[in-house]
Amino acid sequence: MKDDELRALTGACAKCGTCRTVCTLYPERKAEISVARGKIALIDAALEGRDGNLDAVQEALADCLLCGRCERACPNQVLVEEILMKGRADVARKIGIPAWKQVLFGKVMPSPRGREAARAAASAAQKLFAKKIPTGSGLHYRFPEAFGLAGRTVPKLPARGFIESLKPGEAAAGDVILFVGCVFDHVFPRVGRASYESMKASGKPIAVFRDAACCGLPAMVSGDRESSLRCAEENVRRLRAAEAEKIVFPCGSCLLMFKRNLFSLVPEKHPLREDAVWVSNRCEDYATFILESGVVSRLPDPPEGEKVGEIGYHDPCHLSGTLGKGAEAREVLEGAVGSGFAEMKGADLCCGYGGTFNVRDYDTSARIGENKVSLAAGGGTRVISTACSGCILQLRDMAARTDPSLEIVHIAELVAGALSRR
Amino acid sequence: MDEKTISALREIYGERLKTSLEDRICYSYDATGKEFLPDAVAYPLNAEEVRRTVFLANERRFPVVPRGAGSGFSGGSLPVRGGVVLSTERMDRILSIDTENLVAVVEPGVVTETLKEEVKKKGLYYPPDPASLKFCTIGGNLAECAGGMCAVKYGVTRDYVLGLEAVLGTGELVRTGVSTVKGVVGYDLTRMLVGSEGTLGIITKATLRLIPLPESAATLLAFFPTNEKGAKAVAGIVEERITPCAMELMDRTAVDCVRQVADLSLPDETGCALLIEVDGQEASVARDADRVEGACRRFGALEVRRAADASGRDKLWALRRSISPAIRKVNPVKINEDIVVPRSRLAEMFAFLSGLAERKNLKIVNFGHAGDGNIHVNVMISGKDEDERRRAEEAVEEVFRKTVELGGTISGEHGIGIAKAPYMEMEVGPLGVSVMKRLKSCFDPNGILNPGKIFLEEAAVRR
Repeated sequence: MKDDELRALTGACAKCGTCRTVCTLYPERKAEISVARGKIALIDAALEGRDGNLDAVQEALADCLLCGRCERACPNQVLVEEILMKGRADVARKIGIPAWKQVLFGKVMPSPRGREAARAAASAAQKLFAKKIPTGSGLHYRFPEAFGLAGRTVPKLPARGFIESLKPGEAAAGDVILFVGCVFDHVFPRVGRASYESMKASGKPIAVFRDAACCGLPAMVSGDRESSLRCAEENVRRLRAAEAEKIVFPCGSCLLMFKRNLFSLVPEKHPLREDAVWVSNRCEDYATFILESGVVSRLPDPPEGEKVGEIGYHDPCHLSGTLGKGAEAREVLEGAVGSGFAEMKGADLCCGYGGTFNVRDYDTSARIGENKVSLAAGGGTRVISTACSGCILQLRDMAARTDPSLEIVHIAELVAGALSRR
Repeated sequence: MDEKTISALREIYGERLKTSLEDRICYSYDATGKEFLPDAVAYPLNAEEVRRTVFLANERRFPVVPRGAGSGFSGGSLPVRGGVVLSTERMDRILSIDTENLVAVVEPGVVTETLKEEVKKKGLYYPPDPASLKFCTIGGNLAECAGGMCAVKYGVTRDYVLGLEAVLGTGELVRTGVSTVKGVVGYDLTRMLVGSEGTLGIITKATLRLIPLPESAATLLAFFPTNEKGAKAVAGIVEERITPCAMELMDRTAVDCVRQVADLSLPDETGCALLIEVDGQEASVARDADRVEGACRRFGALEVRRAADASGRDKLWALRRSISPAIRKVNPVKINEDIVVPRSRLAEMFAFLSGLAERKNLKIVNFGHAGDGNIHVNVMISGKDEDERRRAEEAVEEVFRKTVELGGTISGEHGIGIAKAPYMEMEVGPLGVSVMKRLKSCFDPNGILNPGKIFLEEAAVRR
């Protein structure tokens, strides 16, 4: 990536300060370095060679949830996410990427086998070191403070992933491809299964994308563009060859990668560009597919008077915000649970996960998340549904910390549940 | 700044003192696009910390620069001589809202919109509405005497300040003014501090006047074929004895800009758009809106749109709101001036501006708060062409001369800072400047507070 490219992007920032109004992190930090305007100034300074300490610059750039609010509010349409990811990559090239991330993004994530092995190892570690706790969304493990995981809860990892659980030949061919995503395959196979079963109700043959590489987003936000590009190349080639009519994503963050970030990795004139555009044009979110393929109209009438107004929808930043797909999910919910759905308090607030952000500053991530969950529960919501893997991981952990009786589900689970009443 | 000074500051602020290059870069800019690196940044939590800082600064002689949200257009918060930036963003409590006496007491870091929203919950109104109200702070508003769209009816920040607590340049904590509507005890130090751009004192607490919230409002958007007709309509509305709470005029250059970015289905011949809002009691709002509409039509409006409900009004405002993002498509660098002329001279000023743009071969986009004669003159340049920049600077000077000639003022609401320092004497004269300097030395004998601002010989040059 050339400096000129980055400079052209940062040059659009007029330093007006609008980003301060919407930043998820600003109320926590109350410091200019946490908002887009400050980070853009740091990148500009680094481009001019005024970077005192690259580690500190990287630290500042990493201190962001990439929720995209500043970008959507910006009167000058500054591409903040693109700038931050490019900035992180630039600095990472100079100071290097930590060894554990190199192995994870470069070796494990692009390979389906590698991820299966990793899940098995993690599952074993979980049983050995963490404490079991029951929650509204099933069994979780709470890690002890000593692990550097600061008492967080993570879902009990299953023995087998969703794709592994498919019978040979099952969901092997079809016009519609289901891109499950790592988390809904390995951590919450139930979501992968619910997505698959509910999509089948469209009457179209559904193929589960078995050879998927990771979508590449975790590597990209960590500044490891090389690994991210490797994932993108694998995925684009295979998806192009599969000649599908549609590629459906239950996870908003994976979808963002294919709808938008892909084009930063594969710019114009890149040999893969044409195929990437072809693939991207066929990608859509789970709710849109369920609506447009007529599944919602085929659902039985939801039971009256059950859980009235207790089911809310949490807007994933990437899906509802950046990709503008909030209305579709709500329409699906109204079809699936009827009067059970009600607009949740603080629905569009970021959950505070931010992928790697949750790892580097769990305390802040948890404060933002707990606030979100408490606000929703205070407004009478008992079930928080959503459509992003990161949000589900975070909301479950936050529910375990504040109100373990809260249920956190993917909208596909509610649709599958409604179908089972037929 | 030497090690000893830094460690003395650290004694006051602990972890809230930042000296890394990264932290300092983040407090080196404001909305002018200029950058000056401070030596340190501190986040005070109370007046005592501010007082100790200024006291120390007198002892060790370093500049102290107060800062709100850094959203100013004249460089008021830029540390042009280095020193320590005191960012008031953590002094952000609303201390009280007194519904009996209609008074609010706030810390300087409270965001303007937050205050407006909080008092609204109690049926009250804090009118000042600078365009940056979502992020700018009351402290910054006070220091610059911010205005806004509603100034035509409700006035500016100055009109809503009853009393202040501030740290003077000597490190003394002074309380000025009153917490009552009236008060004439001695000189009006409160008004001295308001608009003093942080050069006389650092405001640590403000007692603000509130008024009852108007119960309803209606918005009208009128399109005219020429600026002249639009400007005449402004005068016509005022002659109807109506005071709208907003009267925003966009001239042909601004209309052409928004036409390119959004489909707002304007009449083809539109050369000027006028947005008018009236507020008050429901019955009077409807009557005023009728009369405004009548006046617009009399002065040759091509079309008048009108809305009284929130979503309809919002749609009409979309045109006005889309200007700022739209004008950056004209050229990336904006030289933004905020002159004011008497309302009756608006048409003349617009004619002058369009001639000037042609003469100097520049792109100048004009819009603004026509109700109070305040025009935002935006000279849009590429930023890469030295000759273009020189022509722009000449044009700005001509605009200021014309403004003064028409009986106006060169800055309605942005302040002088560093951006307008070279032109101040043009308006206030040598004696005016001299009296101001004498006052400055009373409040801040050692020149500690925000040095390099307002006065020319101290003004910093563009870096």
